[in-house]
Amino acid sequence: MAATARRRPPEGAGHLPKQGGSIEPGPPAELPRQRRGTTPQMRGRYPDYDVLETIDHWDALTRRVVLDRVAMVPELRFFDEAEARTLKAFCDVVLAQDAEPRIPVLALVDAKLYEGRLDGFRYDDMPADPETWRQVAAGLDASARESGCEDGFAAASSELRHEIVERFAHGELDWELPVEKAWTVVMRAVLAAFYSHPWAWNEIGFGGPAYPRGFARLGAGQREHWEAPPEFARDPEADVHERGLE
Amino acid sequence: MRERLRVALKGARRPPENDSAFLLDPHRRGVPGLERMRRFRPHETVDMLIVGAGAGGATLAQRLARRGWKVLVLEAGPFWDPDEDWVSDEAGAHELYWTEPRVIGGQDPVELGKNNCGRGVGGSMVHYAGFTPRFHPSDFEVRTRDGVGADWPISYQELKPHYERLEQELPVAGEWWPWGDPHGYPHGPHPVGAGALRAWEGARRLGIRMCVGPVGIANGSFGHRPHCIYRGFCLQGCKVNAKASPLVTHIPDAIEHGVEVRAECMASRIETDESGRCTGVAYLQEGRERFQPAEAVAVAGYSIETPRLLLNSTSARFPHGLANNNDLVGRGVMVQGAPQVAGRFGEEMRMYKAPPPEINSEQFYETDPSRGFARGFSIQTVGPLPIGWAEHVLADGHWGQALREYMRDYNHWYTIGVLCELLPRAENRVRLAEETDRHGIPIARLDYTQCDNDRANIAFAKQKLHAILEAAEAQDVLTIDRYAHLVGGCAMSDSPGCGVVDSDHRAWDIPNLFVTDGSVMPTQGSANPALTIMALASRLAERLGDKRIRPPVRRRRRVGVPA
Repeated sequence: MAATARRRPPEGAGHLPKQGGSIEPGPPAELPRQRRGTTPQMRGRYPDYDVLETIDHWDALTRRVVLDRVAMVPELRFFDEAEARTLKAFCDVVLAQDAEPRIPVLALVDAKLYEGRLDGFRYDDMPADPETWRQVAAGLDASARESGCEDGFAAASSELRHEIVERFAHGELDWELPVEKAWTVVMRAVLAAFYSHPWAWNEIGFGGPAYPRGFARLGAGQREHWEAPPEFARDPEADVHERGLE
Repeated sequence: MRERLRVALKGARRPPENDSAFLLDPHRRGVPGLERMRRFRPHETVDMLIVGAGAGGATLAQRLARRGWKVLVLEAGPFWDPDEDWVSDEAGAHELYWTEPRVIGGQDPVELGKNNCGRGVGGSMVHYAGFTPRFHPSDFEVRTRDGVGADWPISYQELKPHYERLEQELPVAGEWWPWGDPHGYPHGPHPVGAGALRAWEGARRLGIRMCVGPVGIANGSFGHRPHCIYRGFCLQGCKVNAKASPLVTHIPDAIEHGVEVRAECMASRIETDESGRCTGVAYLQEGRERFQPAEAVAVAGYSIETPRLLLNSTSARFPHGLANNNDLVGRGVMVQGAPQVAGRFGEEMRMYKAPPPEINSEQFYETDPSRGFARGFSIQTVGPLPIGWAEHVLADGHWGQALREYMRDYNHWYTIGVLCELLPRAENRVRLAEETDRHGIPIARLDYTQCDNDRANIAFAKQKLHAILEAAEAQDVLTIDRYAHLVGGCAMSDSPGCGVVDSDHRAWDIPNLFVTDGSVMPTQGSANPALTIMALASRLAERLGDKRIRPPVRRRRRVGVPA
């Protein structure tokens, strides 16, 4: 275990990045396969939890909004094909979506930009958010070409894509756009899209809309009857075997 | 005995002169009887035209209507029906926020939108967390006491009866409050979730006192408003009607007493005549410009839209905008420094449960010379939902696999935050940008830069949050720097050279123009502003109603649109 060498090993927290947990790309070790419902990449901390099994307890309006997010993936209307290719690759890197099933983050962002559902402010040295997105797409491709990948960001190796995103996150790219602010603009939209999706709620064990029934068990370690416990350190291969789930 | 009776009856007691909670439908959340709402004719001169149906505007409307005034409220956003318009979903709450274009600048730009700007009937209180603390007596005299900011032209004592009355109307639930002017609350404290108990324990070990509340959420049913169901979506609009916002606390009673709330009407200009008095307000409804004449106008659009409307209301007589002869409109906008620190615990905390506002400490509220800066901060709790939590994780510098890992760990975390009193500065201001919005009105630009005192306050408060979580034995921490709330921009003052309005909210330059929202605050304390905005409006209404303010001079009723 990575936790053993540390100064003060926080029991049960060794999987966290700041406590020595791995942040390498690729499937995280010790993370169970999802057994119920869907999570992005079918891994998650709550393998037996599917928030969508509780939809009969949600109000009709909320149910429609959330289910549409799953079932009705909008066509791209704002980004062109080349931008979409670059930005899909970017979204995959910043969200570590390295396999199917993926939450269609770029489609959700595209719909928001196309419909003009913006956030109500723009930095004085930045263009409006839709234009920022286009410039980020161009910037990612330009940065990939500078590093020798003529076909742009999406065609770059995994290492190069990670390196470029790393520099983007630290504001170290040489673009016309103020890079640090551009990072916050695009990430705000990316995170809002990803974590508005019930597959992501399954992965993190979020209780969901819970209206009108609400929550009653507020104490430490307490759960509603439909919530599930997290699982740590379960070997996914052995688990499938032990449970006879082949 | 009297105390026991009070406790036994607490949920059943009606607030004085406000039947809102009883006018609502027990089974539906929307305001009933809108089809019977009074409608003023287009050329009918109303006694008071209020721009904005939020904390300031709705409270003023309800009070004045009870005094028999003819009141019209223009509201840019929709007349919400929580059943039909709101979803129990974080991303789906986008419609609740003011998302029209605005520009932000300065060295420490303030993000607007969902963080601090509401739209629609109920205003920002529709999506505030629910904390409703009073200001401290010291807040009204920070210049005298601490040599910073400005003194208010009114004292705490003048607001106190209005605080008490509003605490019954919302109603406010919480423990006996030991700070500021010590006081109790009409409803007892709500139960507290797992995370808040851990943070509380950490604070206790450091000798920091925390108390439950005060929140504008009835503890028990209240009139026809049901009990809170602890689903944690306070910031997304309360579909239950348990959390107080003017939509449920003042609008129903206002409408019952003859107020018209004209929603989806964007005020574009306040018109004035040759004598320098307001004649009414021009507004856009369904793309058409209309005009409503009024004896007096009260602007309650909050710290960005109120200055914007005043600055846009230029004329030959007021070339720099209304009430702006001294170039003070839009200056002194304040936000509170509101960093948050999350701590990781071995047990599941599930911080999405229970309302985000749980416990609060005002122990560090006033100046302590040993800290090396003026004024202070309060410590509060927050319970971010998944998108809010993702923004928190990102702000600590994580993306990709690291972000996903911290997100998967969501249920083990709890988050506490502070509200730091940042000082008013003239250069932190709202101006009109060159760009215009879809109505053709120039958009607002907000510049914000912190001063050294602000930075020292935020840094100290953040250390305190880390210390509490460490004492609570958190296994890991994540930090986000952010701002909360908006006040100032049209400060009240005791002389025309120091502010935009006098102690009666009346523009120094214009006898029948009032500003009645958070923008009149000369300083902001470290308390959440909602209750104080309502209390200010309540006080103004009382003074107008009692004719303690020279009433706007009545002229012959005039028909027609002025040139």
